[in-house]
Amino acid sequence: MSAMSAIFASGPNIGRRGLASWLAGLSAGGRAAVLAVEVLLLLVVWQLVVGVWGLVNPVFFPAPLDIARGFGELVASGSLAANAAISLQAWLIGFALAVVVGIPVGLLMGGSLPVDKVVGPIAWTIYATPTIAYQPLSKAWFGFGIGPVIFLVTVSALFPILLNVAAGMRTTSPSLLRAGRVYGASRFELYRKVFLPSTVPFLFAGLRQAVVLATIGMVVAEMTGSSSGMGALIIKAANTYQTDQAFAAIFVVVIWSVSMTQVVSLVERWTAPWTRKARR
Amino acid sequence: MTTTTIERPEPGASAPLISVRNLTVSYNVARTGKTLTAIEGVDLDVREGEFVTVLGPSGCGKTTFMNVIAGLVKPTSGEVLVDGRPVTGPGPDRAVVFQDYALLPWRTVFDNVKFGLEMQSRLKGDGWRDRVQEAVELVGLKGFESSYPRELSGGMQQRVGLARAIVAEPRILLMDEPLGAVDALTREVMRDEIEKLIAATGKTVLFITHSIEEAILLGDRIVVFKSHPGAIKEVIETGLERPRSERSVQSEPRFLELRDHLWEALQHEATAAARVAGS
Ligand SMILES: Nc1ncnc2c1ncn2[C@@H]1O[C@H](COP(=O)(O)OP(=O)(O)OP(=O)(O)O)[C@@H](O)[C@H]1O
Ligand SMILES: [Mg+2]
Repeated sequence: MSAMSAIFASGPNIGRRGLASWLAGLSAGGRAAVLAVEVLLLLVVWQLVVGVWGLVNPVFFPAPLDIARGFGELVASGSLAANAAISLQAWLIGFALAVVVGIPVGLLMGGSLPVDKVVGPIAWTIYATPTIAYQPLSKAWFGFGIGPVIFLVTVSALFPILLNVAAGMRTTSPSLLRAGRVYGASRFELYRKVFLPSTVPFLFAGLRQAVVLATIGMVVAEMTGSSSGMGALIIKAANTYQTDQAFAAIFVVVIWSVSMTQVVSLVERWTAPWTRKARR
Repeated sequence: MTTTTIERPEPGASAPLISVRNLTVSYNVARTGKTLTAIEGVDLDVREGEFVTVLGPSGCGKTTFMNVIAGLVKPTSGEVLVDGRPVTGPGPDRAVVFQDYALLPWRTVFDNVKFGLEMQSRLKGDGWRDRVQEAVELVGLKGFESSYPRELSGGMQQRVGLARAIVAEPRILLMDEPLGAVDALTREVMRDEIEKLIAATGKTVLFITHSIEEAILLGDRIVVFKSHPGAIKEVIETGLERPRSERSVQSEPRFLELRDHLWEALQHEATAAARVAGS
């Protein structure tokens, strides 16, 4: 509580609306500090509730320090590194496949109405089906090991990329196309210099969704049909009531997912600086 | 007038550069399944080097009319000839300043202005850089060369569109309310610049505006549109001496006479349009 009042005291004039504007006015470093304090507070309260006061059974919901210990155990035994390496491999291959297939098919779909009519309904149907429904099929096709995991990662990541790219192509501003034609762009140049750049922000939105869905697809595949990978590690730990280790593994997966979306945003800022929001 | 016999205009100063004959444009509105006649039976000849301003109530088809000349919209019937040849699409002899700016958001001001040169493969040598820079400065955007359109005000974006058209060096400049979003003072400066530029290069201009004063100040002739359906109501020679200094012209009897006349004509049109829209 004293930490909380300490931060608030450092901001001038904190009223109901003052807090939001004070946060908005902070520098990047200041905002990171606020976030760090928030996380720290949450961890302290959590530790108190579970670890010190014992309000929740730690088997269901281990305290932060237990999770940290679980993490230490996973690192020491080498099982974190081994499983993470396998997951990483499946994730990267699966995601790369989704990108390589999703972008061109999305461009074709967005650029041609007949292709859209044929591929569109199929794509939406597959996209709308829960990933886990493909798991039995995936095992039948690819057996055990990394194959079905790659397959589910690809299927999960493909459609957000493909459908967003197609939407980007289709929503290219007619007024920009008119400008392109007036100034003499050939058909090819219209695609390269008007359609494609218009699609870029949609592509990155799709990639961010794809990162999250690919990670879910990976964990689902590893949990239900694999003896290795982060998903398998989580299941194994949970089945032996080592909930602290299971939570440690879940955290690693979440951190991977969040950092990859950050990487996508970084690449976007670097390759598409015009989408950067002007700082208010 | 029939379209089967295309008269060959004699080569000479008297042949019109732009010739619009009995032009009708209807849009198919997919949502309602109806067709909407935007303009009907429009005839107009524009001589080389002439500055024609276009006035008319909102929605009367001015942009449509200009888009047909630009080659962006196909006539439903009738035809448009440029230099004696029917317009089948856009060409390097015509450039457009769009009412909605139509700047490429991923290009900086400089790269937007050079767009026409780039598309027409005219980025050879070094001269083009100076010309692009000159156009940027002409529209008063020096210092903003590497800004993106979203970082500019509406009026500034509009001036980028103007620079892009100027640098392409077309024979015909089609300008759709090119100063609509610009403040009154900048507007006066830009108007002067446009007039000087046109006088120096002898370009043919079609200039849509909502400002009666602007139409008189800039135009050799003023075309007044009416709506429902869009058509030409009248064409007026301004008959004012050039160069026109803004202040002195505004006190000339001819200017005042034109202004009153146009005011009345447009007011009549606007109330008629409002009545149709309300019914
Ligand atoms: N692409 C289109 N599809 C259907 N109808 C259209 C289209 N473009 C224009 N119209 C219709 O044609 C008519 C004329 O439109 P236009 O844009 O040419 O008017 P305008 O005189 O330029 O108006 P403003 O002064 O407001 O710019 C309007 O009724 C408009 O609704
Ligand atoms: Mg218009």
